[in-house]
Amino acid sequence: MAFHDRLMSIDRRIIFLAVGLAVALPLIWPLGFPVEVSKETRDFYREIEALKPGDVILLSFDYEGDVMAEVDPMAVAVMNHAFTKGLKVVSLTTYAGGTGIAERILGQAGRIYGKTYGEDYVFLGYNPDWSGTILRLGESFKATYPTDQQGRSTSGLPLMQRVETYRDIGLIVSISGSALPEYWAIWAGGRYGAKVISGSTAIQAVLIYPYYQARQILGFLGGLKGAAEYETLIAKPGMGARGMDAQSIAHGLIVLFIIVGNLGYFLARRALRHGGTKAAGA
Amino acid sequence: MKRQGPIILAFIVGMLMMIQFFTPWPRLQDVYNLFLDWKQVVLGFTYILGTWSLVRYHAKKIERRQENYPYSYVALAGLVVTVGAAAIWKTASGPYPWLFDYVQVPMQSTMFSLLAFFVASASYRAFRARTVNATLLLVAGCLVMLGRVSIGPYISGTLFGHEISLVQISDWVLNVPNLAAKRGIMIGVGLGMTATAIKIVLGIEQTYLGKTD
Repeated sequence: MAFHDRLMSIDRRIIFLAVGLAVALPLIWPLGFPVEVSKETRDFYREIEALKPGDVILLSFDYEGDVMAEVDPMAVAVMNHAFTKGLKVVSLTTYAGGTGIAERILGQAGRIYGKTYGEDYVFLGYNPDWSGTILRLGESFKATYPTDQQGRSTSGLPLMQRVETYRDIGLIVSISGSALPEYWAIWAGGRYGAKVISGSTAIQAVLIYPYYQARQILGFLGGLKGAAEYETLIAKPGMGARGMDAQSIAHGLIVLFIIVGNLGYFLARRALRHGGTKAAGA
Repeated sequence: MKRQGPIILAFIVGMLMMIQFFTPWPRLQDVYNLFLDWKQVVLGFTYILGTWSLVRYHAKKIERRQENYPYSYVALAGLVVTVGAAAIWKTASGPYPWLFDYVQVPMQSTMFSLLAFFVASASYRAFRARTVNATLLLVAGCLVMLGRVSIGPYISGTLFGHEISLVQISDWVLNVPNLAAKRGIMIGVGLGMTATAIKIVLGIEQTYLGKTD
């Protein structure tokens, strides 16, 4: 087999093995690449930082287990930031599978910072209709969620007595693996004037730029890099920073494979042209 | 009347929703809230429908001994056990969190993480600089891929010093061409949605009634 053919036909099992190692090894032995904080992340941080102790944020877990590795560090970091600042957190999920994630993250943060459920944070749970939920919350939180995730009356929770509509929410934080932040911006932001920031998977973050430039979303975290940047800003390195090394090496490897494939392609084309010229000369 | 009824209903509800958006009249706000409640109830019922459809599909598969029918037992058992665990012990304690953390999450994460392997293999095979457009896509893709991770500044710093930053190039790609394309699509989609909504309210668009022509 010619050299260019070899470059163009690397066995997919070798590619899979290389990607597996590129992801696994930096997780075991972190490389510690420096994290450069982007403007989007800085704006995200600033919006939370601008709130006063006692202010309430609405944290929406708009994702399920599939994208947990990428966006979980964002939700954990938001909880760390919020509780360090003394903010109150009203939380919900727009995905059925998000309940387990939200309960785990809220419970862990509550235990670490010694916060009380019902006074410092609340988990409203899941409603099947996310569009209706976003709109209905603008009219009444308690009518949209008469009970929390565990069936307790929201009217009886001290924190919920302070929250009637979006007017009582300092900031909406949507952590998502889908287009949900756009809808928070359009409906909660556009119709009810709520301030929205978001954290998304890298692939979804690309869709946030128009809203960010129009100031409909005031700041956002894009993928694991955004999470790592945010962790750097709040000085609490976590899974975002650790995962960033793995993602960096994996991206570098994919680009390397693309270069190798194209090198083979150009060498093959050159060989074909030379072969053709020789044949014509003969 | 079978056809006119839904059209009249769509007209009344559509107009009502449009008017309530522009008026602060409390009665109309109450109607709006009522409609939002109905919407949630209707969507809640789709879950019942979905569950019924899932059970019927797998029951038929088992009954007819179709290909891979043993997996249907797994699907049905998963449904019964998960719903049962949440109904008996609720979601915060008992077997439900365990099922979620050690069954559902690893399965979903595994499916999603397979993308990394397929993306690597597919981009190696398909990303070829055959035409100008393909080359532009390839170059933009590689720049964004490197610019969006921590290794990007490291590579550009090593290769070009501080003159060229992969992060800045990647930001430019996302903030200018990407933004322009996305905004164009969004405006197009928005106008299309508005036009379709008006057509439905006015009874011009009737495909939702099963009319195909």
